[in-house]
Amino acid sequence: MNQGTIVQRDLGSRFENLLGPAVVLTDTTDLQRYAIDSVVPRLVLQPESTEQIAAALRVCTEENWTVVPFGKGTRQHIGRMPDQVDVALSTEKLNHIESYDPGDLTISLQAGVSLAHAVAACAEHRQLLPIEAPEGTTIGGALSTSSAGPLRAAFGGLRDFCIGVNFISGDGMNGRGGGRVVKNVAGYDLMKLMIGSHGSLAIITSANFKLFPSPQQTITFVCEFASLGEGLALRDSLLRSPLSPLACEIVSPSAIEYLSESEPHDPDEWAPEPSTQNTAAWQLMIRFAGSDRVLARLRHELAASVSRELSGAGETDLWNQVGTFEERLLKHHRNAMIFQVELPLADSRSAIQAAESSATDYNFVAAITGRATVGSLIVAFLPLAIDPPAVTQFVSAASDFRSRLSKASSAVVMRCPREAKQHFDVWGSIPTDIELMQKVKRALDPQGILNRGRFLVA
Amino acid sequence: MFSFGVAHKLRKIVGGDAVLERPEDLMLYEYDGSLARGAPKYVVFPQTTQHISEIVKLAAREGLAIVPRGAGTGLSGGSIARSGGIILAFARMNRILDIDIPNLRATVQPGVVNLDLSNALAPYGFYFAPDPSSQKACTIGGNVAENSGGPHTLAYGVTVNHVTGLEIVLPDGRIVQLGGTAASSAGYDLTGFFVGSEGTLAIATAITVKITRLPEAVATLLAIYDDVQAAANTVVALTAAGITPAALEMLDGWTLRAVEASVHAGYPLDSAAVLLIELEGLREAVDEQAELVSELCRKTRAREVRRAADETERQLLWKGRKTAFGAIGRISPSYYVQDGVIPRTRVPETLRKIEEVSRKYSLTIGNIFHAGDGNLHPLILFDARDAEQTQRTLAAGREILEFCISVGGSITGEHGVGMEKQDLMCTLFTDSELEVMRRLRNCFNPDSLLNPQKMLPSMRTCREAFAPGHHSVEAPVAPAAELR
Repeated sequence: MNQGTIVQRDLGSRFENLLGPAVVLTDTTDLQRYAIDSVVPRLVLQPESTEQIAAALRVCTEENWTVVPFGKGTRQHIGRMPDQVDVALSTEKLNHIESYDPGDLTISLQAGVSLAHAVAACAEHRQLLPIEAPEGTTIGGALSTSSAGPLRAAFGGLRDFCIGVNFISGDGMNGRGGGRVVKNVAGYDLMKLMIGSHGSLAIITSANFKLFPSPQQTITFVCEFASLGEGLALRDSLLRSPLSPLACEIVSPSAIEYLSESEPHDPDEWAPEPSTQNTAAWQLMIRFAGSDRVLARLRHELAASVSRELSGAGETDLWNQVGTFEERLLKHHRNAMIFQVELPLADSRSAIQAAESSATDYNFVAAITGRATVGSLIVAFLPLAIDPPAVTQFVSAASDFRSRLSKASSAVVMRCPREAKQHFDVWGSIPTDIELMQKVKRALDPQGILNRGRFLVA
Repeated sequence: MFSFGVAHKLRKIVGGDAVLERPEDLMLYEYDGSLARGAPKYVVFPQTTQHISEIVKLAAREGLAIVPRGAGTGLSGGSIARSGGIILAFARMNRILDIDIPNLRATVQPGVVNLDLSNALAPYGFYFAPDPSSQKACTIGGNVAENSGGPHTLAYGVTVNHVTGLEIVLPDGRIVQLGGTAASSAGYDLTGFFVGSEGTLAIATAITVKITRLPEAVATLLAIYDDVQAAANTVVALTAAGITPAALEMLDGWTLRAVEASVHAGYPLDSAAVLLIELEGLREAVDEQAELVSELCRKTRAREVRRAADETERQLLWKGRKTAFGAIGRISPSYYVQDGVIPRTRVPETLRKIEEVSRKYSLTIGNIFHAGDGNLHPLILFDARDAEQTQRTLAAGREILEFCISVGGSITGEHGVGMEKQDLMCTLFTDSELEVMRRLRNCFNPDSLLNPQKMLPSMRTCREAFAPGHHSVEAPVAPAAELR
């Protein structure tokens, strides 16, 4: 019996004694399911209460065991590769809707509740929880990774409608921000700290949200343009008009084919055609809600720009496709490098052009979608060659692309091949002071056990 | 001698005419819009970020507290120099630094008055959405500190929803950037965390905000009721029907009569309550919604629903609402305004509770509030010269807020905790939750040099708050004029 196995047993029995055997998984096949970038945790915990989470984290802090907070793992590809994971702490047993007050349009959800479950519960009352994330994502996972989709144009991001959060700090303290009411300034706004913290500060145990009435009817206008400039000009005139779209998505010519319902090609046997951009069109997909009279007016005002109008099932399908763009791309290209770019609105054009140039220079094709009225883009670099691309190709392309962006922008690599991930920083540069972030990290996770080595802030 | 030394050093930083130290000058800075009071040792008017950086370094060396102050319209004592020290007054940092229409942003110094920004944006067809009732006076720096709301935050969100970037000065003098022009970026959202921190983390010196398009059409409705419960039921019905007005305000009969005596806003004197409902958006949508809302009001027993015929009438209805606190100041020597929040389904029973509290303590309580988001502003009338009545007033206020907590609400929706509600923080949050907040404050402001003894209660305060027979006591003063 080697040293590692002994430590493994120690770890397991320590938690079994502390929390009971039902909470602890040590079976190798179980552990595989919780691997982070192929790094398998030594142990999985599935606590049944916040008290158990606190107890577990206190022990981990004391023993300097690293912890990865785990929902359903749909967004665990984000971040640097961990050196080692001692404990994957799963929230899947915290899966209750704590309260739902349709009359107040508020809901309280435990972290392990699946987003789909919460959205369905709200839909029964014709209410909307406008969080968008890959299928299976939990509430905790969506908050940690600040998940958002096209609806951000109308409802803002999680920071705009998450009204309360409960969490356990790295060293096992109960923390709370906000509450269950829609307006509240008592104490610090800890929701903001938790959203997008990628599990590096605390384990979120539950959160409360403001809901919105579901739109009664919607339509989507698809507008096609020969150039990016024309598409963005329509975006700009929308921003200056009194029209408020539910969503407004810019789609590059090369991205369009990934939005259609075709069967994926075998990713090992297929590569995209080199640039077809001169002939194909840029699209702006604009979705509106409103009464018959409102929609009639929109139809009239936008008539000159609209190529197609969608409603009903066709419209729902289109937005599902836009929302799952990343997953669709990956079916075709397991080696795709995908950025999330946050930028000032006026930099949209230069950023998209930068992506296309950098991609071309390093033998990729850029496929781009994004929230055009928000300033948030999904930029995919798809490798051209059939042979697996060299690591340096990814590293150089990412660095080149980032260097062409304005200082006010940030470009996080959400996905790229594991081999490449080890050779550059997936997070890139950010406008906010890093030293303060480090202090905040140490305040809530003094031993640095949470997602060690994975997040921007160490 | 030492005192002279500090003033001299401050003058060297900001200039000879930018430091006040004579008692008669300092007196003006003892107040804000709350019942609290405290005398600073110096008032300084910085003009640049660099000035502030040097002032905080000096203050640290001299062991003096720093209290940032905008227009002093705050309602919770946030800008009161509780432990003496230096008031950093932003009256001379009042420039709009940039209006950036392509990016839909504006960058301002903290001393810019809220309404001045909207006025500057109007020619472009934009405005700054947060609209506290004090917007003619209050500053955007103050709005950031308190995460201010206002009637129209129902549809557009509070200050934090509109701030994307900050330049701040830390207590050690370091100037740092949080966020920027983009709507978000990777890393912790320290910008969002900073908003509403009540001056306890750092000093904001430049603020980048989102700007919002002016609406194409606005309809303002006045729904009139013979029964305050019926008005409360309308609020519940509107929320449940999924109608989100731009604003949904309630005034009870007593308050609206006080308002009418001061401003002739057009509220009917014989009514028991009115709802002021504003709808904004596309012409077609506003017209349809106005119909829908009127119908719902009538179904929930509104006696009458009027629609403002023109902009003058509309402005008058709003003037009544926005100057309500000032109107109360005409008829009562003092008043105490609360800022509780409740789930919107609990509005009717909360109004009943307030009536009960009014009877129990023999105090007149007027009700005026942002009904659409469940944010109550009960106004308790009292005479501050009567110590016993003052105690009763504070006890009544506390009982109302404890009720708000008991139905799942909060002690403050937009006025902030400040000095006023520190002990209630011990009721709302556990020791552990408060300790987490203290740790975070210490990341920015480890020696509590900035705005000491605000917002977060000390452990001692919490122990005392739960001791038998305790009542929160702050020195009461006269009411302020025109507030939220």
